[in-house]
Amino acid sequence: MKHVLKIFSLLLVISALWIGLLQASIMPQSHTWLLPIYFIVSLGCYGLLMVGVGLMRFPTCPQEALLLQQDIAEAKGFLKQSGVDVGCK
Amino acid sequence: MELADRAVGFLLSFISLSIFTYYTFWVIILPFVDSDNFIHNYFLPQEYAILIPVCAGVVLLCLLCMFIGFVMLKSKKKMA
Repeated sequence: MKHVLKIFSLLLVISALWIGLLQASIMPQSHTWLLPIYFIVSLGCYGLLMVGVGLMRFPTCPQEALLLQQDIAEAKGFLKQSGVDVGCK
Repeated sequence: MELADRAVGFLLSFISLSIFTYYTFWVIILPFVDSDNFIHNYFLPQEYAILIPVCAGVVLLCLLCMFIGFVMLKSKKKMA
């Protein structure tokens, strides 16, 4: 099934649950009206948390960086030999 | 370099977790507490629980539109 259909059905289920909760009046009504805003805020919070966690666990690979710098120097030397202008930096 | 990245990541997750717990407390737990409990002094009145996210969302939308308009104007000026 397409991804947008899945998101749509999820939204439909959540709104049906919310309307059911409004009708059944288990909790006080003013309480139930706050629920969608609460879910939106918590979704934003969750996104921010994922970004923070991803930043914390980002791998840097220092050996690969060194090899890359060597490759760049070698390529620059070779191109300068062949007459191409590599005057960046 | 990666220490700065890790510090920023930690700060972001700390901010998000604290906002989440404060907001959960505010919206879900506080209405069930008696109204003369001492804990109500630490939380703003309940109308602000709706006002602040809505205002923040509107400000975010405005900033986004301004940024898009700015980028579009700059690209048009560069083409002409």
